[in-house]
Parts: sequence; C-alpha cells; structure tokens
Amino acid sequence: MLEALPRAHRIGPRRRLAVDVPATVNLVGALAKYLGLVFLFPTLVAIWYGESVWPFLAAGAITSGVGLAVERSTAGAGRRVGVREGFLAVSVAWLAAAAFVSLPYLFEGGDQLGHPIDAYFEAMSGVTTTGATVVTSYDDLPRSLDLWRAFTQWIGGMGVIVLAIAVLPRLRVGGRQMLESELPGPELAQLSDRIRHTARRLGIVYVALTAIEALALAALGWLGADAHMSTFEAVSHAFTTMPTGGFSTRAGSMSAFSAAAQWIVVVFMLLAGANFALMYRGFVRRRPRSFLRDEEFRLYVALALVASVALTAQVWGHGVAHGGDAVRAGAFQAVSILTTTGYASANFALWPTLLLLSLFALMFVGASAGSTGGSIKVARHLLTGKVLRRELDQTVSPEVVMPIRFNGAPVDERTLRAIVAFILLYVGAWVLGTGVIAIDSAITGAGLGTLDAIGAAASALGNIGPAFGSVGPMGSYAGLGDVSKLTLIGLMWAGRLEIIPVVVLLTRHYWRL
Amino acid sequence: MRVFLIGAGQVGSTILEALHSDHEITVLDTEMSRLQAVADRYDVTTHEGDGTSRRDLARAGVGSADLVLACTSRDEVNLVAGMFARREAPSATTVIRTSNVEYVELWRGGQLDVDFVVCSELETAHAISRIIGVPAARKTDVFADGQVQIVEFAVEEGASTEVTRLPLRDAKAPTDSKVAAIIGRSGTTLPGGDDVISPGDRIVVIGSPQAALEWSSLLAPNGGAVRDVVIFGAGRVGSQIARVLLEQGIGLRMIEISREQARRAAEAFPKARVYRATGFEPDFLERERIGQAQAGIFAMRDDAKNQYGATLAKVHGIPFTIAIAHEAVSEAAFDQARIDVSVNPRRVTAEEIVRFALDPRTKQVAMLEGNRYEVLDVTTRDSSRYVGTAFRDMPVHGALIGAIVRNGAAVFPHGDDVLQVGDRVIVFTEAANVPWVVEAL
Repeated sequence: MLEALPRAHRIGPRRRLAVDVPATVNLVGALAKYLGLVFLFPTLVAIWYGESVWPFLAAGAITSGVGLAVERSTAGAGRRVGVREGFLAVSVAWLAAAAFVSLPYLFEGGDQLGHPIDAYFEAMSGVTTTGATVVTSYDDLPRSLDLWRAFTQWIGGMGVIVLAIAVLPRLRVGGRQMLESELPGPELAQLSDRIRHTARRLGIVYVALTAIEALALAALGWLGADAHMSTFEAVSHAFTTMPTGGFSTRAGSMSAFSAAAQWIVVVFMLLAGANFALMYRGFVRRRPRSFLRDEEFRLYVALALVASVALTAQVWGHGVAHGGDAVRAGAFQAVSILTTTGYASANFALWPTLLLLSLFALMFVGASAGSTGGSIKVARHLLTGKVLRRELDQTVSPEVVMPIRFNGAPVDERTLRAIVAFILLYVGAWVLGTGVIAIDSAITGAGLGTLDAIGAAASALGNIGPAFGSVGPMGSYAGLGDVSKLTLIGLMWAGRLEIIPVVVLLTRHYWRL
Repeated sequence: MRVFLIGAGQVGSTILEALHSDHEITVLDTEMSRLQAVADRYDVTTHEGDGTSRRDLARAGVGSADLVLACTSRDEVNLVAGMFARREAPSATTVIRTSNVEYVELWRGGQLDVDFVVCSELETAHAISRIIGVPAARKTDVFADGQVQIVEFAVEEGASTEVTRLPLRDAKAPTDSKVAAIIGRSGTTLPGGDDVISPGDRIVVIGSPQAALEWSSLLAPNGGAVRDVVIFGAGRVGSQIARVLLEQGIGLRMIEISREQARRAAEAFPKARVYRATGFEPDFLERERIGQAQAGIFAMRDDAKNQYGATLAKVHGIPFTIAIAHEAVSEAAFDQARIDVSVNPRRVTAEEIVRFALDPRTKQVAMLEGNRYEVLDVTTRDSSRYVGTAFRDMPVHGALIGAIVRNGAAVFPHGDDVLQVGDRVIVFTEAANVPWVVEAL
C-alpha cells in the first residue's frame, strides 16, 4: 500500500555543487573592489613624472567597478566562505588579480607589454612575486609603468604573507598545518577574520622593512656612494626585494649598482626569506631569542651561509671573479636564488656548468615557510629529512616510536604525509611544465633548448624569475612561444598557491559529493 | 595522638601496622568486611561510613582527631574527605593519598586545602630512582635533605676484599659511613667489630651519598654510571619513573604495547627511545639488544607480566631487575623469582604517610626487612638520657646511631664525639625498640 509521507519527511532534492561558488566569487569581488585603490599610487607617480595618467585611472576604475558589480550580484544572506571555498577563492583571487594588474600594460605597454599574453605574463609574474619578465628594453618604458611593475610585486608580497600564514595553514596545504599556531589569535576565527588579523600585524613588519631598505638604498645615492642609485631606483628595488620578487628597473638587474647597494640588498633578501611571524615576534615583540630557538630559521641561515661559501669558492676557482668580488658574487647569487628573489649581480647564465647546477639545486630549496619566498621551503626540507631519518631507524628497529618534532612540538603524521605529497606534486608539476615548454619550443623553433626549459620551469614554479640561457637574469622571456608563456604563467600561479589548492580543483569530489 | 584513618585497604592496613600500638586510631571504611579484618588484628575503633559524606565523618568523630589520613584507593574520595576533615577538625593535620601527580602540583601551588599530599606514583618513582642512583643498592632512603643516605646492598662474589671476608674493625670502610646491619643466611645482626661481611649477605649502610657510591663500587665493582635502563610499561607509573630518572640524567629505553601510550611517552620524553612492543618477543629482545641494558624496570599493570617480563629479561642478560608489585603477595613471589628489587607502590605510600603520624620530633622513618627494622630521625631534648655522652660510651641496645644533623649539616660521629641538645639523630633500630629509643633521646 502506498502511503503518503508527511512533507517534512521527504528527502530533499539533489544539490549539484559541493562548493558555494557564489560566496567565493563574492569574496573575490570584494577583494577586487579594494585592489582598485592600489592603482592610485602609480597614478600619483605618473602625475609626478608628467606621464599619462589615464591607464592607471581606467584600470583602477575597471577593477573596482568589476569587483563591486560582482560583489553586488552575488550578495546573499548566510553565505560563508569555509575551508572548501578557500581553495577556489585563493586560486581565483590570484588569476583575477593578475588580470586586473595587467590592464595598464595592455593600455600603455606598447610593443613590449601590449600583447595580452605578455601583459598577463608580466602581471602574473608580478603578483606571484616571481620576477620573470618579458621586458627587453627598460629605457622605453614610462617610469610610472616601471614602478607599477615593482609595485605589483609589493602588493603581491603582502598577499603572499597573508596566504602563507593565515590561509594555507587553515586549508592544510602541503603540511602547512605546522604553522597553524604561528600567530596568537582566536583559534576558530573565520578565514576572513584571520586574514585581517594577520595582515594587520605582519603588514607592520613588511612595510617597515621596505621603508628601511628604501631609505638605506636611497641614502647611498644621496651621499654619492652610488651614482646610479636614484630615489626612484631605491624605492623600486625595495618594492621588489621584500616580496622576494626580483623585478628590476635595469636590464642588468643589480649589477648596475655599487657593491654597497648589493650588500644591502643581500641583507634584505635574507630578511624577506625569513618567517614574517617570527620576525614579528623577534622585532615587534622584542624577543630576539625567538630567532635562535626557531629550527627552520637556524637551518635557513646555515643554508644561506653554506650556499654562499660554495658559490664563492666556485666563482673564485673558475676565475669568474676574485677576492671580494667573488665573495659578493657568490653570496648575492646564492641568497637571491635561495630566497627565490631572482636578482642578479652578475650574468650567471654565462657561468660554468657546475655553478649553474649549484644554482639550479638552490632553486628547489626555497626560503622559510611564512616568508614571501616560493619553492619547496626550508621547513619542508627539514621535516622531510627527519622523516627519512626515522624511516632508516625503523628499518633497523620497526618497533621504535619516534614522533617528529618541529621546534620541540610533535608534528602529527597527517602533516608529514602532506609534506611528502607536496614535494611529489611539486616535482611532478615541474616535470610536466618542462615537458610542455620543451615540446612547444621544439615545435615553434623559438625559445629554449631542453636544458633551458628545465631551468625555466623550475624558476617559474619556484617563483624565482630568471633561469639560464636566453632567459637568464639579463635576458627576457619575450622570445618564447605563447604556449610556453601560458605554461609558465600556470607554473607561477600553481607554485605560488603551493600547488595543492590548484590540484584540488581538478578532483571530482571537490565539486560534487 | 588521635589518628583518623579513611580507607582500610592495603595502604590503610600498612599504616595501621606501623601506628596501632602507639596511637589511638579510628578507621572509617565503606566495607564492613575490611573493617572486620582490621578490627580483628588491631586495637582500633571502626566505623562503617563514606569518606565523602560529611555526616559520616562527623559521626565517626573526625572532629577530635589530631591527624587525618585519607588513603582510599580513589583520589576523589580522598580529596573530598580531606577537605571535609579540614572543616570538621581545623586544627588537625590532613594528609591525602593520590595517584595523580597533577594533584601534587596543585597542592604545591596552594590550590588544595590539605596539609600534605602523598602521590603513590611519585613516591614509587623516587624509590626506584634511589635504587638506580646507587648502582649496587637494593634499597635506599635519604634523610636531612639528601645529606644522609641509608642503603641496603647485596654483597656480590666479586666484592672487594677491603671490606668483605674480614672482621669489620679491620675493614677499610669508606669514611663517613657505618654498617648498620648485616643480613645473612642466619638472620640479621647489628654488627660489632668482630662481625664479617661475606658474599651473599646483604648489608645496610648509613652514610653520606659519596660514601654510598664508594660502598657501591666496593661491593659491586662492575657498577658505574647508569646509561641504559629499560622501562617496561609506559603507563602512569612507568612514565613517572621515566620522568624522575631522566631528570637524573639516566639514559632510558621504554617498551609499551599500547600504541596510544607509546606515542604519548615518545612525545613526552624526547630523550628516551620508545618501542611499541610487548617486551616478551625473543626476536625483538634479541634484535634491540635489550639484554645489554644495565637494569630493567617492570612497571606494567599486571604483576604476573612484570614477574614474567623480569625473568625473561634476566634470561636475555639484564643483570638487575626492579619490578612493581601492585599486590602485597607479589613481593614474595618476585623474591622467589630472583627479581632483585620489588617496589610496592601502596607500601611506599604508606611509609610516606606514616612519617606524618610519628612524634613531631621524629621527622622521617623508613621500614626495612618487612617492618622489622626502622630508621628514625629524632631530635634530642634537654632531658635526653644520652646528651653529653660520647658515642663510644653509649649502650648497644639493638639500635645504632648512623648520623647526626647538627645546625643543618650532617656529621658522621666517631667514638669521641659527644651528643648535644638539639641534634637530629638518625637511628637504625629494631621496630620493637622504637618507643624506647624515642624515649631515651
């Protein structure tokens, strides 16, 4: 007998999506609304230099307008961006930010940046703080556009700090959970609260360090110690050092400047590659011992020293440079690549193979977790090393119980698995990217040999910037085919988001239950 | 003194055994059968009632007590009883037993309104650390803030002939120490100059910590620093032992079968090597060279497992085994199984609690040889019979003065030294002589 069930007992209709896409789009729209304000800065610069103002005003208006429209059209009560939406939000946010940032290049980029793919490449390289460029002739760029390139990296770096310390740990990306308690704050705060909280606190450190570096570099110019270091150059380079970006206003990167300027930049690159939450404790809270107690920081400094010494020895040994010049060349390149900044004080693309291999190895190390740097990062190497050591111990004694510790606290096994998975995905993405670029280069006949493709993919994925050969530090990515450029854009994007949020979007169960 | 005892279980009866003859004792327990057993053996007043009921406590007369001892097996009961006793008898000293170190920490922080908290895990751990600290010792206790140690040694075959196989007056005994007793096959003697220490005997030495270590190396020449001790069982007792031993810088390995407890131990003790295993598989014991350990401590929940584990460990070559005996009967069984030392957490706890019941002048007491001997820490009065007497002129009455504490410093007396008023005297004596010794001093 068929019985009519009371209405309340009927099962509901099938919901198609597991992700609240409108809520995510709404959040990205809100971010774009504020991103529009960023264009005011280059507008002022353009006024100062008497250059065209409208590209920035128009871009700002479009960005805010689109953001506002999107936010309005998706507004709805009870929408909440949770962890599930977080993956989509960060992925879309960086894609969208790069699109908005590329507008001034489209409007005023001319031959060098006017092409949509070139403009988007330069913009993505900026907001991911990579530093790979398609610019070939720096002198032909308006100064406001030149500073805009630097400024996109600086804004991107701010986003990266928030991403690294507030968002990715919450999304449990690649073992980031271990950093979950980096900043004291309400444990179960909403993602948006956490972002605000982190941005406010660590923003102080970021802004202060940028200002100090700009002053230090500018002082060199004012005192006449460095004839090339104008205030404009000082500010531009400060804008690209702290986010470990690496855009320069010069084709020769930092090689155009004095030794003193290069040493100052080395110091600030090292700082930019340190954990910002740690620097907040050390500098703002005045607990300098935190630096000594942090395992990752100790290893990071040790790696920087070892890499500097190793490169110096090779540079000297191969007769590339001698004495103090060799030390500076070694330290500068080592720190630049280790922190994934990507400046150069020498055209290392021309260096002997062994040196190139050393730099290539450094590309896979990366800076500290919680810094603006990219690549695999020191904390993951550290924990992977501990996991391997435990595996060896357990090969002999399977019964031994060894919790892995990070800064004294036990790290849970899921985090460790996530780290190993991250490294595998990282290597996988690199291999895949290399393959596509190599094949594209072979088909179009333009661009890179296989070895250079390997370097370019590693450099883009690690958000470093320069690679070897024609895309070396003094070169440009302009000559590559469109497919290669799009691949590198994808690698920069995935690398910056630590790959997993992007890959998660490709899984079926993310979208449907 | 009027003592009010809550709980007539194992700890309670051990306390009664020590106190019943000199004190007026009231016992409260929920189980009539236990009260009956106690009443049959000792001259005490018993009340059936609940320690957590203030009415029951009042009815049993807690208000007139000088000393309240809450020593049931349940922490919560002891805590509540202790707090009620505080209200009912504000002038009485309250001592509660607990099995959770957290309560000791709370009490030290002034958060628990009782006079003393005695934790069985902690006391057990300290008892074991005293044994391990002096490698050849079977039992030790410390007095006067660690300045005086009383140690029971087993005399091994390889013991130095400087102190064994010859009359005591010719032995080159370490300075600042005295042999208080020789426990041989024929029984226990309080030795004179003619007595001889032979391999196979056990001896009790009172002396400075330095002297205790010297005795240790004389009697067990293969001793030395303790670098590798294996603890079987990482539960509450095992973890507490590990914590205390690690603080002393002793190298540890731990074996625990429960995944969860093994993980917790490994997280809590980064310096210890923790295995997840039963500790009984020959393959594991062999592969991890468990037999090379200097000592094995068996702190599992089950006495039977502790006994089997200890025997197996001996088979694999661990020379020295200490086992936790949760039941009183197990101690004898462990002894039969040639386990070197057994520690009964309840008895250790009872000993600690009894210290509060004795004469206020008598600070500490230890029980040796199944309560036949006691070590007293007595402060001399003006009226003491032997004040002003040189030690060589004192009578031998089944009692021996091991050390005196004068103005806070330990002195190991020689024949010419004279006893003064206010000296704290550490006396080794037969239990039967305790009242006499206390009275005489």
